[in-house]
Amino acid sequence: MAKVHNWQIGREMAYPYKAAFPRRQFAFVFNINRCIACQSCTMACKSTWTFNKGQEHMWWANVETKPYGGYPQFWDVKVLDLLEKANPGKQHWSGKPSADLKRPYGQFDGQTIFEAQKMLTPDSARVLGYLPSDEEWNSPNIYEDNPVGKKGERYQFDKTGVELPEHKTWFFYLARICNHCSYPACLAACPRKAIYKRPEDGIVLIDQEQCRGYRKCVEACPYKKTMYRGNTRVSEKCIACYPRVEGKDPVSGGQPIETRCMTACIGQIRMQGLVKMNRDGTWAEDRYHPLYYLVHVAKVALPLYPQFGTEPNGYYIPPRWVPRDYLRQMFGPGVDEAIERYSNPDRELLAVLQLFRRSNRIIFRYEIKEGPKVYEAPLRGKKITVYNDTVIAYGQDGKEIFRTTVEEPLHVRPAQHANSI
Amino acid sequence: MNVRSLAVVATVVSAAFVGCTKTEPPLSDSEVKAVFEKTLPSTVEDRIWERVPLHPAKLLLQDMVEPRLTQGSTSFVRVQSVTDGQKIAFRLSWSDSTLDDLPGPGRFGDAVALQMPAATTADVPAPQMGEQERPVEITYWSAIFQAVANGRKDDIHAIYPRAKVDHYPFEAASLKPGSAAQQEMAKRYAPARSLENPMAGPRTNPVQDLLAEGPGTIRPAEKSLSNGGGKYSQGGWSVLLVRPLPNGAQPGGRTQVAFAVWEGSHQEVGSRKMRTAWIPLSLGSAK
Repeated sequence: MAKVHNWQIGREMAYPYKAAFPRRQFAFVFNINRCIACQSCTMACKSTWTFNKGQEHMWWANVETKPYGGYPQFWDVKVLDLLEKANPGKQHWSGKPSADLKRPYGQFDGQTIFEAQKMLTPDSARVLGYLPSDEEWNSPNIYEDNPVGKKGERYQFDKTGVELPEHKTWFFYLARICNHCSYPACLAACPRKAIYKRPEDGIVLIDQEQCRGYRKCVEACPYKKTMYRGNTRVSEKCIACYPRVEGKDPVSGGQPIETRCMTACIGQIRMQGLVKMNRDGTWAEDRYHPLYYLVHVAKVALPLYPQFGTEPNGYYIPPRWVPRDYLRQMFGPGVDEAIERYSNPDRELLAVLQLFRRSNRIIFRYEIKEGPKVYEAPLRGKKITVYNDTVIAYGQDGKEIFRTTVEEPLHVRPAQHANSI
Repeated sequence: MNVRSLAVVATVVSAAFVGCTKTEPPLSDSEVKAVFEKTLPSTVEDRIWERVPLHPAKLLLQDMVEPRLTQGSTSFVRVQSVTDGQKIAFRLSWSDSTLDDLPGPGRFGDAVALQMPAATTADVPAPQMGEQERPVEITYWSAIFQAVANGRKDDIHAIYPRAKVDHYPFEAASLKPGSAAQQEMAKRYAPARSLENPMAGPRTNPVQDLLAEGPGTIRPAEKSLSNGGGKYSQGGWSVLLVRPLPNGAQPGGRTQVAFAVWEGSHQEVGSRKMRTAWIPLSLGSAK
């Protein structure tokens, strides 16, 4: 095993191959606070890539209801359980979130899926994982909208339900695609080297000519985003809609456009981009790139289960209403700071949050033009001030894609159409 | 061979022919003897096999190369062989209490393969899939391929007979059933088929010809030259594999052969298999 630096866990870790980083990395931010589980992303992906024979169980993009839901069933609980068994009571973080790009969330002192020697067996010596059963793939929406019980009453449903306006229960929607990890477990596990990470954009692909369907990748991927296809007898995975990212889709006009799941998001929770990488695998400073800003400046977007060790490139703005210990387990130690900043956004964050889903084009840079103060009031014990700033998005070619304002334009339906729906 | 080994061999041989009235073939302990016949048998049930020497090949764990197999499953594969001077046929049979030929994401199929050096020389390449620039030829049979070759539909109904599917792209009303345009649409969203990955697509031949130059290097041979067929009955598989004699192998001569068996219910696939070392193979001639 080689030693590589994983900045999300703030330390060196073991990985079967030497570190190699793309020039730019496919990455995305999902704002969980906005997700309504409409499954538009799910169906956009399904109807584009996985609606053929043999792909019936495949959902490269899915939205599951946490804490009970999962596709495949209980995927994250099972991986966490394997790691806990490998390193009982020691899967902890130390240190504190800081400005250091090499350890922004402190340090994970436990074991990753590449390091859990106690549980790694000779027949699966590279990555700790498990192979889901057929049945576990079959119910992508299982436990949808199931809340947990009352506080302190474990393993029971709430007998009286919930009375508005106070929610005594919690759940949230977790939208997922392949994380196109910087240290992909699927790639590490493939005995045929049939999986590769593209140097130009970090997209991880399974070579459909080379794969022989051994499913070591399915076993190894902790997010379970490689999937076996029975009638071609090989595995497939999310391809990050690479023709769109390359600007080769007929609708793209030669410019990179976001994936189908991103652009179909009516909840406007998703933004996808291509971030510049340093040679050491950290993100190169790109102050006015919206993803760089959300992950490294505002620090409101956090990686999903960074402790698994794959350095996933999907980042989430954690839901404000969910118990913090659950969120810390899912997104690491940056959760408290992220929720604090998201709940009390500063002027720049408020503007950048308006960039979500105004265009299908991938944003490479933004610029803010200051506008007038439009609102001032106390909120949750703090004074907030809102300015109607204009945020301008630029594409790869440096040209403006769109501009939008913090205050959404107000359209009043003309009187003659008032009841015309 | 000690007394215990003989007892195991006797059990293995008797298990192979339990319940049938056929004559038991003679044993060949030390090597696989390919007897000469003008016409090769075309099925595993051909009566020729009653007189062809049977070599009980002990299977070992493949525990040298990752991903390893650390818990044994199939113990023996019974090997018989016939050659007509051009081709060589093998009848391979082994006990297996489960028939595994379904294509689910968490299921694996039973399979068997034989391996021969691509060039017949005095020193053979490494038995574990050959070596760089010293390739081995592999003849691979899979129970999943066999089921499809036998006519089972290669779709979700193989596992879930009552499954309901709304629509596939190749079922669009604008595509005439059976037309080239429809075939093209069926392949468009099956990239492994479009790229002619030999694992994918409808199969009529349950056997694949492969080449390897070391672990993890297996690739399809340039031409598909082998054929065969397998049958599951009485708690085990019997598989016929017919392939050309390897380059340089002559009737009356000798070469080496190795075997591997994959037990689907044990999630054996790829390098996770039971296998033999090289076994001497003598090739009968017309004289």
